[in-house]
Amino acid sequence: MTTGLTLCIYMFSFIHGTMVAPLPFENGDRIRAVDTINNGMEYQGTSFRVHDFEDLKKRVQSYEVFDAYDVATVNLSTSDRAVRYTGHYVKENFFEISDAKPLLGRLITNEDGLSGAEPVALISHTVWQNMFAGDKNILGKKLRINSKPTTVVGVMPDSYQFPSAGRIWMPFTTTGKGVDRKDGHYVAVYGVLKAGVTDKQADAELQVLMAELAENYPKLNSTISAHVWTLQAAAMGSGTPIIILAMELAVGFILLLACINVSNLLFSRATEKGKETAIRTALGAPRIRLVMQMMWESMLICVISGVLAVLFAGLWLEVANKDVLESFPFDPPFWWHLQITQTSLIAAVMITLVTAFITGILPALKATSGDFNATLRDGTRGAQSKASGRLSKVIVISEVVLSCALLLLSTGMVYSVNQQNNIDYGTTVEDIFTARVGLPEAGYESDEKRQQYYQNLAENLIAEPEISGVSFTRALPGNGARYENIALDNVDYGKQPQYPKTSSVGVDHNYFSVMEMNLREGRLFDSRDKNDSPLTAVVTDNFVNKFFKDGDVLGKRFKFVETDKDWYTVIGVVNDVIHGQPMSFNIEKPTAFISIQQIPKRYISVVIKTEADDAASVTGLSERVVDIALKVERDAPLYEVQTLRNLITGRNAGMNFISELFLVFAAASMVLAFSGIYGVMSNTIVQKTQEIGIRRALGADNSDIYKHFIKQGIKQLVIGLAFGLPMGVALVTMLEESSIAQGSLMLYFIIPTFISAVMLLAIYYPVQRALKMQPCSALRYE
Amino acid sequence: MKTLIKLTNLKKVFSTDEVETHALSDINLEVKQGEYLSISGPSGCGKSTLLSLLGLLDTSSGGSYNLNGHDVVDINGKQRAAIRNKEIGFVFQSFNLISELTVAENVALPLTYRKDLSKSQRKELVTAALEKVDMNHRTKHYPSQLSGGQQQRVAVARAIAGNPSIILADEPTGNLDSKNAELVMGLLDKLHAEGATICMVTHDPRGAKRAERVIDIFDGRIVSDSPTMPNQIEEAVA
Repeated sequence: MTTGLTLCIYMFSFIHGTMVAPLPFENGDRIRAVDTINNGMEYQGTSFRVHDFEDLKKRVQSYEVFDAYDVATVNLSTSDRAVRYTGHYVKENFFEISDAKPLLGRLITNEDGLSGAEPVALISHTVWQNMFAGDKNILGKKLRINSKPTTVVGVMPDSYQFPSAGRIWMPFTTTGKGVDRKDGHYVAVYGVLKAGVTDKQADAELQVLMAELAENYPKLNSTISAHVWTLQAAAMGSGTPIIILAMELAVGFILLLACINVSNLLFSRATEKGKETAIRTALGAPRIRLVMQMMWESMLICVISGVLAVLFAGLWLEVANKDVLESFPFDPPFWWHLQITQTSLIAAVMITLVTAFITGILPALKATSGDFNATLRDGTRGAQSKASGRLSKVIVISEVVLSCALLLLSTGMVYSVNQQNNIDYGTTVEDIFTARVGLPEAGYESDEKRQQYYQNLAENLIAEPEISGVSFTRALPGNGARYENIALDNVDYGKQPQYPKTSSVGVDHNYFSVMEMNLREGRLFDSRDKNDSPLTAVVTDNFVNKFFKDGDVLGKRFKFVETDKDWYTVIGVVNDVIHGQPMSFNIEKPTAFISIQQIPKRYISVVIKTEADDAASVTGLSERVVDIALKVERDAPLYEVQTLRNLITGRNAGMNFISELFLVFAAASMVLAFSGIYGVMSNTIVQKTQEIGIRRALGADNSDIYKHFIKQGIKQLVIGLAFGLPMGVALVTMLEESSIAQGSLMLYFIIPTFISAVMLLAIYYPVQRALKMQPCSALRYE
Repeated sequence: MKTLIKLTNLKKVFSTDEVETHALSDINLEVKQGEYLSISGPSGCGKSTLLSLLGLLDTSSGGSYNLNGHDVVDINGKQRAAIRNKEIGFVFQSFNLISELTVAENVALPLTYRKDLSKSQRKELVTAALEKVDMNHRTKHYPSQLSGGQQQRVAVARAIAGNPSIILADEPTGNLDSKNAELVMGLLDKLHAEGATICMVTHDPRGAKRAERVIDIFDGRIVSDSPTMPNQIEEAVA
């Protein structure tokens, strides 16, 4: 019971602390994120074209505040070093709704964003301490931010993080004015709902406005819709509700198993006391009094378990989660307070009381119902009555059903994550170092200058003896890539076009060889694919299979609907690469690689192939790589310098965390299933000790007794598996669609085999114990 | 008449960590085929222990036991089970019917452990046994649907279904009212008249006197072994 309640209280505290509790601001319960859905894919954060946002802002009625901010890389340089931070470009009301108060100086105002205003920045406590050693005279000092001199106007307190961990805040100046719609910058949109407006109403209004945008701008907006959700839900991601549902199901099953186990114990006691209860009834005891008397036992068990469960859940939340969250590659949202709160305690009390009621009421009602006269007359002297024997069977079958479904669900999840962790990404992921770099706008306006930077960096890096290859990419394997609408040549998409989509990844020419990819047909990028030559693309097998089913792809053309006006010609086909988490929808995505020499971007990932394999060499090399990059460009520090393997592991940390939880669920369900099935069977057999004596007296030998109970057990096992197996498979299949769980024939075989083995053991040992008695002792057994 | 049971210096000692209790000491007893024997004595004297040893429900601590020409002291559990099944029929004070089985299934139970009987043969034997106790109209009932006397009649049917060499009855009327007790005792009389060997433990003097021979036990020893006078039997039956 303690195990079940611990998991239940833990899950409640986890879900409440991360998803349900309102944000700790005055209007925290009404703050919302507004994000887009493009071709069925949900995009978060900077997902709105600024033109769309501006159009919406003029017309939305559901919000008190409806505004945007931008998130971008900020390179902060001092005289001796440069560090890359995440910067937030915000408006005044950004701070108003988040109840922000500066530690020093002032906040960003709307005037700071006006044209011609002096560039200013608000820095975080972390930046203040790390870069300026907590200099009290920081206000008014000029920093180089993205190569521009910028004045510090304030320092934020350490605790301030909204909507995520920001380090530097600057005025929001992004606008659609004077910018072609298709070239519009993307911004993140947030709002504060008017009091009384529901999410459903706000969402309905948004759908109408987005439909109008789609009608007005079909080429750009026909596949785009939007939705309103809480920041808490947005931080967990759109796939989270199904995971939470799976967790709730698992915990519910575990608690139910625990309830059945305790119920069974109480029921056994009630059976043992059957005669006593019948005598009390015969003597005139009111039924309610007998029921209450039995309920006290379940109350006592559940209250003690509840107290222990709160302690264990609190310990788990405080200690285990701290380690887990620290292993995440990102700062957890500021509202994540994984601890036992007042609300958790109230919930714990409620859950405990309900559990005590559920656990105790059935045995109590069962024991006090029925024909007490028959109980008094029953010649079986304490052995199970027919009705209680039937109930025991139902309990065993329920245990098998729940155990089977729960174990399949838990192991399916663990198996899925294990498969994902060992998946082939389509490239090598060993011996690869990666780093990100963001070139400042100033000085790198032209494609030639950016291209020159990449060339210089590559030449300087390859000079290191431990480095055997250097390349560049816009998206690393295992990390998200742009997923864009494309139009195939000679295909008419109509007036309300529904374009196909592909991942687009800019890569340097040698990327395929450095990443050990395989050319299927055609050629890879080479000196023919220059800045001024016709645009070319190398596509993956999925691309061919999806868009050119006849396989005839070389020389065919496509273009990116929103960002490019020129056609790309397919020159080669390579193996598939997984961009994003290794889930089925990412595995199946087509990819088009384009040459960064034709379209060099400011933000890029550096790929370094190295033979350095021990920890010291890796650390030394990463430091040298950062130094080399700073020598090439002092305002463009490398960041996120790490091995590709670590990067991928970090990306999958969330799933691994969930998987670890499910591992706990699986372990708990195994323990509960084992103890439950064993307990129920053992009790059933102990209660049948006298029956065993009778059977032996009538000539049954040991094998006859074993056979009898195994036959009975198999009947219950088969019925239980007949329900539990399809239920478990259905749950796994439901989660398979979201790539959260994965079934396998092996699991579908192992789990029932495990349960069958438990069942056999649960029969064998109690029967063996009963057979050790002389038949005459068994006959007298009470 | 053939000797069915022969006990020589049979002992039973119950041992705990510190105490040895001599439940039976130097029991010497012969039971002939077709005899109706009652074992009497005060509570705790060892009569039920003796019945358990006779029925191979317990093992002796010494002495020998010959049942139907076979020494059964040193045989293994499987052999003991087989002998219980074929040679012995039990009638218990508390009926000991299995509540989840119907009347017919309870009676058939000892027969299901025999490999030499077909299903139809089992059915015939069950029907015959139930007819003998006049319970063949209740074959599909469960024990809880029967009166105490009816339950004990079913228990008797179960004991005789396999045509055992001897019926061992442990206080067969102990849980019954006088009317039902009389019915059951009458049933045992009838079985005896048909040739059954019966060994009954009872502390009811009236019941004991219905047997041909009464053995008294005191403190684990046989203190008297005497035939019952015909007039005593008549008195008891009357």
